Amino acid sequence: MYQYDDNDRRIITERARQFRGQIARRLSGEISEEEFKPLRLQNGLYMQLHAYMLRVAIPYGLLSSTQVRKLAHIARTYDRGYAHLTTRQNVQYNWPKLADVPTILDELATVEMHAVQTSGNCVRNITADHFAGIAPDELEDPRPYCEILRQWSTFHPEFAYLPRKFKIAVTGAPGEDRAAVRFHDIGLRIVENERGERGFEVLVGGGLGRTPEIGRVCRAFLPKRHFLSYIESILRVYNLFGRRDNKFKARIKILVTALGIDEFRRRVDEDWETTRTPELELPNEEIARVAAFFEPPPYEPLQTSDRQLAGFELGRDRDFGNWVKNNVMRHKVPGYSAVIISVKAPGTPPGDVSDTQLDSIADVADRYSFGRIVVTHTQNFVLSDVKTSELQRLHAELVALDLGKPNANKLTDVITCPGLDYCDLANARSIPVSLEIAERFDRIDYLNDVGDVSIKISGCINACGHHHVGNIGILGIDKRGEEWYQLMLGGSPGNDASIGEILGAALAQDEIVDAIERVLGRYLQIRESEDERFIDTVRRVGLEPFKQAVYGSVAKAAAVGG
Amino acid sequence: MPAPNRWVVTGKFTDDGSNAWRRADGTWSRRLVEAGLYTEEALANAQVAETIANEQRQISDAYVIKVYAFGATIDPLTARERIRANGPTIRVRRPDPERGSKTDGD
Amino acid sequence: MLIIRNRAIVEDDFVHVPDGAELPAAGKPIVTLARYAGAREELLGRYPALGVRMASDQLPGDIPDLDRLVLIAIEFPRFTDGRGYSTARQLRDRHRFTGELRAVGWVLRDQLYYMERCGFDAFELKPGKPLENALEAFREFSVTYQAAADDKRPLYRRR
Repeated sequence: MYQYDDNDRRIITERARQFRGQIARRLSGEISEEEFKPLRLQNGLYMQLHAYMLRVAIPYGLLSSTQVRKLAHIARTYDRGYAHLTTRQNVQYNWPKLADVPTILDELATVEMHAVQTSGNCVRNITADHFAGIAPDELEDPRPYCEILRQWSTFHPEFAYLPRKFKIAVTGAPGEDRAAVRFHDIGLRIVENERGERGFEVLVGGGLGRTPEIGRVCRAFLPKRHFLSYIESILRVYNLFGRRDNKFKARIKILVTALGIDEFRRRVDEDWETTRTPELELPNEEIARVAAFFEPPPYEPLQTSDRQLAGFELGRDRDFGNWVKNNVMRHKVPGYSAVIISVKAPGTPPGDVSDTQLDSIADVADRYSFGRIVVTHTQNFVLSDVKTSELQRLHAELVALDLGKPNANKLTDVITCPGLDYCDLANARSIPVSLEIAERFDRIDYLNDVGDVSIKISGCINACGHHHVGNIGILGIDKRGEEWYQLMLGGSPGNDASIGEILGAALAQDEIVDAIERVLGRYLQIRESEDERFIDTVRRVGLEPFKQAVYGSVAKAAAVGG
Repeated sequence: MPAPNRWVVTGKFTDDGSNAWRRADGTWSRRLVEAGLYTEEALANAQVAETIANEQRQISDAYVIKVYAFGATIDPLTARERIRANGPTIRVRRPDPERGSKTDGD
Repeated sequence: MLIIRNRAIVEDDFVHVPDGAELPAAGKPIVTLARYAGAREELLGRYPALGVRMASDQLPGDIPDLDRLVLIAIEFPRFTDGRGYSTARQLRDRHRFTGELRAVGWVLRDQLYYMERCGFDAFELKPGKPLENALEAFREFSVTYQAAADDKRPLYRRR
């Protein structure tokens, strides 16, 4: 992984010092909350429903065990003993005191971490495929480009006051997009052209929120050396022409829709032609320098895993077998596997990890996976490089840590935002719904029968839970001060990108999980075979059968109230 | 249930972001039940303007909410304000896993 | 009025002339782009040192005879309106403007560092904000990652 040099360390240290000064001026009253707010947001500090919230950046989700131990220490010392994994591969603390924040940032800096630009109207964390570097279907590792973008965007002086936040994701696997690039402001796909050159397909204007959109192709093939200058031109066009009159119409997707992709592209090209300089070209030496930080670890030469894994899945230890079937992923290196550590468990808000669990996870990463671990945007962890022969021992350890649920990508692997229990922006609580789902469906046979299905819950239209792209999406809404829930079906974030459709009238909190159970029951009834996934059934039959299952009749489904 | 009949000034404590309600004597409490009650919204709004102008060090993001005040109780009108007053409705930190003791007396 | 220019606090030698107000007999006026566009030759002929003030939604391409101006002021109606940063970069990089580039409006000490990197060399702080410790803002960072108006080389070309 990337190692800071003197420049990186100085930048982060000076930033922490700058923010310390800004906090002092806030506490002394020299600047008001209104003037302080954009400054604290650019340092990742939110004001939430009960306390401040500090969002720590985890570039493309990659952590070392040392960093994980530091996150545990911070949770224990300055917070309430836990941290929260987010849907953009970051980590959040929900209870920091303002005066402690400079010390927390100093502590993070000692392990090459920070909270820069995890909020505010600037370029946010660059996210990537959580199987980057090891997936068998990967064309090229996207992480060096994420790191290059991270450095380029950090304290970029021109783009600190954009019309709105800006999110970029990168995938290196053409066949399956695990980074949801089509739902980002800029999505980048590593591709190869007819001449065999590697470059990027640049998608622009994807996003969720009030007006979900699938990203459009701004440039079909961008050579690597133009990587930074072209992206800079996109940002410049957005900065100059994005709407600033209405917060809910300020993302780049609104601009792309308003201008049309052709006119948008024309403006980008016009700026690019006049501003790109030889200095701004990305030389191969720099790409190679950064890529060197992502060299493969010292793998042992081993036999292929396939037969071992098949044996595990069918073995007598059913817990282990289910875990291998659901949580263990194929690896491009023979003898190795990737493991999804599900932090989802009944009674626990999805994505929450205690300090003691974090310390244990650091140990596990050291002993099983070269001291590295990845945060996924589905709010779990991935151990990328585990020897297949050690899977059974690892599983036993994870179970003892309450981290062994074999539910990856299954019904109880729920993605949810913090919702009205924590978040100042929310209209309804999301965590209690996820807890009820986790408890109601905590039967492995049922989970396996239903198969792959994603439930994503957002407490408000800002869609931090990515509900638009859940196979089952739930949106919390406010009706006269009370909490109601819209249910939608058919979303998907990958190459087969689709936005979920609302099923019918909004449901009360005590109705929503029943509704999900009925939806699943109907799916089990009408699927063509056990192999037809939930999303495929929905696409095949449409919403009618599910509307009937939930509402009893189409008329009730259309009743006013949603 | 009585109609909402009073207003209350609320905000955040700058030092830790916790919720603050203004007492009648001008000090700030961490508990809604201690809030001073306004009989006229305009007066509460005026106090908010004053707090924003002069109390930035201690209080951020002041605003007015309407409440049911009945006897010694003060009830907010919305789910959001109930949760602000009472805290998260879920357990805040998952407990450490029980150590499965195969022997007695750990 | 005191302003910051080239990282020092100095007395302003220009004067803003709002639309409709009478132009001074002599001196260094700053007029709006609209006024300049309407009476360019006359203004340039009358004042050897002329400045133009841009609103946040105006573009460098809207300014005729750019190189005959000694000053361009860019408005920040709210400090969160970041268009001026791109406008400044375009003026310096694309249009090669070499005169004074001044940030006016809701300008806070906390924006000075970025503004300077984008090509501003003069600043009128929001009234009421102290100027003295504002100068510290320019020294808050000793290293930068990316190219900007102040240095065309990204860090990877300077390592």
